[in-house]
Amino acid sequence: MALRAQILAVTAANIRSIPQRLGNSLVIVVGVAGVVAVLILVLTMFVDFRTTIQGDGQPDRAIILPRGATTEYEGSLSRETVAAVMNAPGIKHDGRDQPIVSAEVILVAPVARKIDNSDVNVTLRGVGGQYFTMRPELKLVAGRMFRPGNQELLAGASASAEFAGLDIGKQVRLQEGDWTVVGTFAGGNGSRESELVADALTVMSAYKLDAFNTMGVMLESPDAIASLREALARDPTLQVDVRAEPEYLATASAGVNRMLRLVAYAIGSIMALGALFAALNSMSSAVAERTLEIATLRAIGFSPSAVAVSVLIEALLLALLGAALGVAAAYAAFNGRTISTLGGAVWDSQLVYSLTITRSVTAAAILVACALGLLGGVLPAIRAARSSIAEALHQS
Amino acid sequence: MRFLPLLWAGLWRRPLRSVLTGLCIATAFLLLGLLEGVNAGFSKAIAEAHRDLLVTNTRVRGGAPMPIAALAMIQSIPGVREVTERAYFFGAYGDPLLKNTVAALATDPAVFFQLRPGLIVTQQSLRAIRENRSGMLATPALLQWFGWKVGDAITLRSQTLKTDGSRDWTFNIVGTFDSVKNPANAYFGIINYSYFDEYRVENRGTADSFYERIADPTKAVATAAAIDRIFANSSHETRTRSDQERAEFQAKQLGDVQFFTNAIMGAVLFTLAFLTGNTLRQSIHERIPEFAVLKAVGYSDGRVLRLAYAEALLLYLPAAALGLMLAHLAAPLAQEDIGAIIVVSPAVAMSGLGCAALLAFAGAALPAWHLARMSIVDALRRR
Repeated sequence: MALRAQILAVTAANIRSIPQRLGNSLVIVVGVAGVVAVLILVLTMFVDFRTTIQGDGQPDRAIILPRGATTEYEGSLSRETVAAVMNAPGIKHDGRDQPIVSAEVILVAPVARKIDNSDVNVTLRGVGGQYFTMRPELKLVAGRMFRPGNQELLAGASASAEFAGLDIGKQVRLQEGDWTVVGTFAGGNGSRESELVADALTVMSAYKLDAFNTMGVMLESPDAIASLREALARDPTLQVDVRAEPEYLATASAGVNRMLRLVAYAIGSIMALGALFAALNSMSSAVAERTLEIATLRAIGFSPSAVAVSVLIEALLLALLGAALGVAAAYAAFNGRTISTLGGAVWDSQLVYSLTITRSVTAAAILVACALGLLGGVLPAIRAARSSIAEALHQS
Repeated sequence: MRFLPLLWAGLWRRPLRSVLTGLCIATAFLLLGLLEGVNAGFSKAIAEAHRDLLVTNTRVRGGAPMPIAALAMIQSIPGVREVTERAYFFGAYGDPLLKNTVAALATDPAVFFQLRPGLIVTQQSLRAIRENRSGMLATPALLQWFGWKVGDAITLRSQTLKTDGSRDWTFNIVGTFDSVKNPANAYFGIINYSYFDEYRVENRGTADSFYERIADPTKAVATAAAIDRIFANSSHETRTRSDQERAEFQAKQLGDVQFFTNAIMGAVLFTLAFLTGNTLRQSIHERIPEFAVLKAVGYSDGRVLRLAYAEALLLYLPAAALGLMLAHLAAPLAQEDIGAIIVVSPAVAMSGLGCAALLAFAGAALPAWHLARMSIVDALRRR
């Protein structure tokens, strides 16, 4: 008999006998399902956090920060600096020939999480009049724009869903009394929906600030960043760094990203190690229980490699079944769930994002499942192939 | 105890299976210990935080500072023992770059260090800054960053205008202090508020925060409310919280991370219960004739049951203890890499072992019940 036919025959016999040793086979299935579900959860937390932070980065937008600043809130840009940047080359102008820029102040507003009423902070961004022109992905979805000079706010859709008191018409207690929420904005894939937005100059006068923290500009084209950078470098009074938005977002979130990745990998690998022991246990028991059967097969002429490969195939199939269960459990339990945690524009402000299980995360988890099945099957497979026929038959 | 060799022999009947199951349990408890350690880390920080130390901040962060005159009003509130003010000073050493920025707290050092037990200072340094109005105490990390040493006079260029029209502030470094919890990573200085306030032009006579110590920690909430009433309905409303409330607030900021750890712990426990339950079932099932012999020689049903449970415990507890021990050893590493405080405390270990015992009982319950009920004759016939 050809090797392939032998393998098929033995595998079919193995699979038919699974119902008689269900408990043992389920060990590998449940073990792998647990690992896959947890892996999907930790990887999705990490990947979706990264996508949310970096999601809205556009190469034709640049962020101007005081030299050396790595985050938007830590440094200050004087009014003179902002004026000089506005007149610099490379910046796109709108229909009325105004440069599309937004000089911003970054503060926080205290709010309460709806779910447990705990106090947290959200980012309060004082923005320029061109903010929504510069970020066309963000749209006003309810209410109206704020009017400069009035203490009015717009709330991002995620923020108003997650935190209490951000519905239109509600008041938020900030400096100089109450500020009214007059509209809700939504759109983009990023962190902006977790923020409150108000007019920068109104915020600065209420908080008695005389400098901005950060500035966003829309470039004529992604390449125009070079001429803007060059022009700003020529003026020694301007101590600023110009970075393309995607690059800025990548560096700004590098620390948290690294931490989340470590957590995801650490938890994932500990889980995988545990499941590997379970798979080994399950498959060695499977081989041990069938000592007689395997010896008989070999006695009637099945080759050792056919027996070994069939054990591997069985392990792989069981692991895949476990992976399918794990994926289903992860989708049912986590997909679409909203997460609110640290990660906003200010070190202690909240970022709201929803867990969306991606295909690549699912694929990675299934790959790990296959590896577990194969690794768990290989030693028992070798043992099955090497076992002495005479001894096995004699023992029974 | 007398049965230990018997139990031990039972476990080693199939050494590979017992070892692999034990490793499974150990790995699971390594993960459970670390995750529970994160929760315990927060609880520890909250429990250790002082309830008798309060901090008054502006209610709106970035809001207008509070008048220093309030210090006397706070001091007069019954139950307030000491109070001091704090304002921020920022200046650049050399080029006005962010990496050259020096942050200093302007305060009354004599009171301040009593109210901040997280910072340690020598009597000598404390005396030096009290005797030198333009003195500054710096952390060793700050000294090293700029290559300063005690005795240096440094000039910092600040946004804060001085009464003489310049923006250059000169301080004499007269001593050092350090953070207890975060030595070598604290980068700031302490200066005399009286000196700073006398020479600044803007915001004169104001403070960004007040620190208080109260006589009775159980009255923290009421005292905090009394302090906040001083500022109610003014343009600088305040929020006074004890150090403990502040630690709680910080723990809450992680938000849904709790959901995340709970979900993982739930998945791990479920998987583990299933895997090890299967091992126990198999192991007992295989030895039904042996248990039958024990019953035939006069062991009571209860005794056989206890033997089965004891064997399960012998499998779970050492493995779980090994896992928790590994978690305890890994915690400092994780802390370094991730920045989370992980405390695998005795309480975490005890709850972990309790959990392991429960799993052992749950896993052994069904097969053991079966053992106790079987008839000796049937069981022996199975040989």
